[in-house]
Amino acid sequence: MKVVVCIKQTPSTTAVLTVDDNGHVSWDDPGGKPNILNPWDEYSVEEGVRLKENHGASDVIALTVGPAESKDALKTCLAMGCTQAELVTDPAFEGSDTVGTARILAAAIQNIGDVDIALFGKQAIDGDTGLTPVQTARKLGWTPLTFVSAIKEIGDGKITVERLVDDGKETVTASLPVVINVVKEINEPRYPSLMGIRKANRANIPELGAADLSVDGGVGSAASKVDWSKIYAIPPREGSCEIIEADSVEEQARILADKLFEEKVI
Amino acid sequence: MSDIWVFIENKNGEMSAASQEAIYAGRKIADEMDRELVALVFGENVSGVADTAFDLGADAVLAADDPTLANFRVEAFGPLVVKLAQERNPAVILMGGSTRGHDLAAWVAADLDAGVVPDAIDVKAVDGTVRVTRPVYAGKLLADVHVTEGTQIITLRSRAFPKAISKGASGTPEMVDAIVAEADIPTKIVSFESTEGTVSLTDASIIVSGGRGVGGPEGFAPVQALADVLGAALGASRAAVDAGWIPYEHQVGQTGKTVSPDLYIACGISGAIQHQAGMRTSKVIVAINKDPDAPIFKLARYGIVGDLFKVCPALTAEFQERIGG
Repeated sequence: MKVVVCIKQTPSTTAVLTVDDNGHVSWDDPGGKPNILNPWDEYSVEEGVRLKENHGASDVIALTVGPAESKDALKTCLAMGCTQAELVTDPAFEGSDTVGTARILAAAIQNIGDVDIALFGKQAIDGDTGLTPVQTARKLGWTPLTFVSAIKEIGDGKITVERLVDDGKETVTASLPVVINVVKEINEPRYPSLMGIRKANRANIPELGAADLSVDGGVGSAASKVDWSKIYAIPPREGSCEIIEADSVEEQARILADKLFEEKVI
Repeated sequence: MSDIWVFIENKNGEMSAASQEAIYAGRKIADEMDRELVALVFGENVSGVADTAFDLGADAVLAADDPTLANFRVEAFGPLVVKLAQERNPAVILMGGSTRGHDLAAWVAADLDAGVVPDAIDVKAVDGTVRVTRPVYAGKLLADVHVTEGTQIITLRSRAFPKAISKGASGTPEMVDAIVAEADIPTKIVSFESTEGTVSLTDASIIVSGGRGVGGPEGFAPVQALADVLGAALGASRAAVDAGWIPYEHQVGQTGKTVSPDLYIACGISGAIQHQAGMRTSKVIVAINKDPDAPIFKLARYGIVGDLFKVCPALTAEFQERIGG
């Protein structure tokens, strides 16, 4: 069984973001790493490694589409236990919308060949769309299984998973190959081991470009049908905080309750 | 290019809350663009939900009534929406903020090669396209996004829009056929365990959350008591979850749930940017914290500087008296 984990490098959760008048976002994380493996992807990487440990997956390949510095996130995946990593990078791919990114990922997965399961995190903490898993499944012609909270069984070319949907837990069965996106409930990601980190740092991560892949359909900014150019800082909330002061905590509670009934939020 | 479509979820014969919000947003766009609002109602025994769609303001309803559509499976619903969209060329397809709407939006956009914008907190028609305002970078920034050509597919953030209200209208749906046979639907639902009846964070109109200030697992008791009297969901900051005081399912923030309740009461939560990312679109925020300099007070409309172990019980007693229980 061959597993691909599609990951993304994102700004760290503590990064301070700035956006200029042209909607260009930059960030820094004084005292920390400005870029990290997308936190939601830690769960899909962990699940991939568990498929190796518990279900005999032979290959667990971390795959990303992005700039050269995304290799750092791929190294984190290797340190966590992925067997290989692959970077897909090409100026022609820059500015792709989610459908374009799905086309590139699908081509890269087909290029790897004989893949049974493609794993994704729920979403990336920059674009926050969570659309790419289902769209990659469509471009591959595979079954998408979303919001997966447990992989229950794999065998005879079939997979059974538990999904966390709006109003409950749904257990479904489908035939492999499948594209899965996982939610945090699925596992507790491990920390990379020291030996894993050393090994990952020495790893030679192959780079593929547009010429190496048979991407079917439009990619890059010219093919994007979504204009993301207007990004801006959140305007501060109107009005300042009204601090409720009184002689007793009971009196504070009474005043606050009055205010909340006036606001019609209770 | 003509109509505004809105996908309607049928939950055991009733329209989901997310779909009622989607009709509200769809009606707004349809009026701004002077187009018809068409509701897509797929399922089994859909006539009641179709009636509701007319009543809430749909000009027309496309309905499919088939056992293969009884439970939502994107492989059955996706191809049907794609086929209808290819035949009829809608200007916009809107879905509510739900796991199902999200999957369907992704599927339909991929197959139509259309632009898709998820998680709208505001929509406005500008020159024939819908300008979508949505949070990006985990809620740290906002973006005004639009689809530049073709059908515009948009999903809404749950609870960001009010529910459409009854207009007393009625109509007759246009029936369409399901197009994927059961044998051709790859996923089979083995079982379903409903979580209806429990207060879920993303649906809750009131959330009471505890953070580092609760001090330990037992410290959540007064926070829970306040939540109970308000019929609220119980939230938590990452600090409290990471400390093992409360399960992850309660976490609000960048790597937890994103919520937009009418009222968010933060107890002993300092308001780190990661927590703010998950709750800043709440309508009214109340902060209870010992530290008057805690960042949460910058976000809150009302604040009490004090000990949550005194303030929460006082609030609980006050609300108990006023709203009973």
